[in-house]
Amino acid sequence: MSFRWDIIFEYAPFLLKGTLLTIGLSVSSILIGTFLGLLIGLGKIIRNKVLAFPFYCYVTVFRGTPLLVQIFLIHFGVVPFFTGETNAVAAGVIALSLNAAAYIAEIFRAGIQSIDKGQTEGSRSLGMTHAQTMIHVVLPQAFKRMIPPLGNEFIVLLKDSSLLCVIAAPELMYWGKAMGSQYFKVWEPYLACAFIYLFLTLILSFVLNRLERRLKTE
Amino acid sequence: MIKVENLKKSFGNNEVLKNINAIVSPQEVVVVIGPSGSGKSTFLRCINQLETITGGHIYIEGLDTTDKKVNINKVRTEVGMVFQHFNLFPHKTVLENIMLAPLKVRKVSKEQASQKGMELLKKVGLAEKAKAYPDSLSGGQKQRVAIARALAMEPKIMLFDEPTSALDPEMVGEVLEVMKQLAKEGMTMVVVTHEMGFAKEVGDRVIFMDEGYIIEENIPSEIFDNPQQERTKAFLSKVL
Repeated sequence: MSFRWDIIFEYAPFLLKGTLLTIGLSVSSILIGTFLGLLIGLGKIIRNKVLAFPFYCYVTVFRGTPLLVQIFLIHFGVVPFFTGETNAVAAGVIALSLNAAAYIAEIFRAGIQSIDKGQTEGSRSLGMTHAQTMIHVVLPQAFKRMIPPLGNEFIVLLKDSSLLCVIAAPELMYWGKAMGSQYFKVWEPYLACAFIYLFLTLILSFVLNRLERRLKTE
Repeated sequence: MIKVENLKKSFGNNEVLKNINAIVSPQEVVVVIGPSGSGKSTFLRCINQLETITGGHIYIEGLDTTDKKVNINKVRTEVGMVFQHFNLFPHKTVLENIMLAPLKVRKVSKEQASQKGMELLKKVGLAEKAKAYPDSLSGGQKQRVAIARALAMEPKIMLFDEPTSALDPEMVGEVLEVMKQLAKEGMTMVVVTHEMGFAKEVGDRVIFMDEGYIIEENIPSEIFDNPQQERTKAFLSKVL
């Protein structure tokens, strides 16, 4: 049995197309998920238990159920319910964003609560409001501490986007599977996919490392 | 200037302040002393309501700041506070620390804030540290920046919560020096401290607290040389 480089080259344009979609899905889900995660994280630390309750529920549900189940529900249920038809890419972004938001909310909450209470007191004692204190004092410091766990989450999200092949979103893994079934091959398509994913996560961690270093004071 | 009436504060079932009454006049320097756990820091933190009070009233320039309708953020712009652990913002430079609140709360221009900030840094003798980050400063320097930061809001009253307790002994002097200067300029000050020398030299009045009560208050010479209460005597015999 020989390794068939030729079928990898034949599929290269499709793998490239898939990779671009994987990047697109991941980047948009990271952005939307981070934004939602911030809101949910802030919601969870509201002192009023009644107001904080929906945010608790959100995190519990999206963290407590498998992403694959969420993908199916959103693809075959939620998206058709609102638009009348299925749309794998839209469902993919929604599922990945909502799922990541639950984890990112916890990262934000932990980051915010890790900032010494004295920072808030120092800021409030100067007459700054709660919101100003959050924006100018707590969040910038919390964000720095959140970069390593956020990086983890982004890497997980990027890899989890491969699950979207089950709803036929034409991302990287989808084309890998297509190649595998056309030629009845295992190593060529899946190793090719694995290498591309590895390459993408390496770039992502490089970018995050740079960001972390740039935000260091002193 | 400040009038505290029947102030009570509990943490859960633990009553830390039991009916405190006090008055601070304009330009007066009031020093609060007492053993740890006596409630003196809590008393100070109640004045600008970093602690929500359990009962009583606090009037600042005649305004009942415990009234729910009063905007406490507005009150706090008039009452500066300096903390034991400085609470400088580590992600901002020294000058940015000082400029932040004037920019965001007073809405002054950047030029104005920076000019005022540099003035204050000169006053506390740290103009050359404007662009440094707090982490690179010594404790004494940090505390002087914290004082400058509070002064940037041009408060009418300054609260000091054990400002020298977290400092190495050789740095206590430089911070006390700045505070003395401030007192000389006529700032109204309430100072919680263990520095009895400062209390004697700078204080107009000394309040001795224990177990949530004000036990005794008087001018420094009377408190230190002629204490009336047994508990005051016992405390002073240990610290002097």
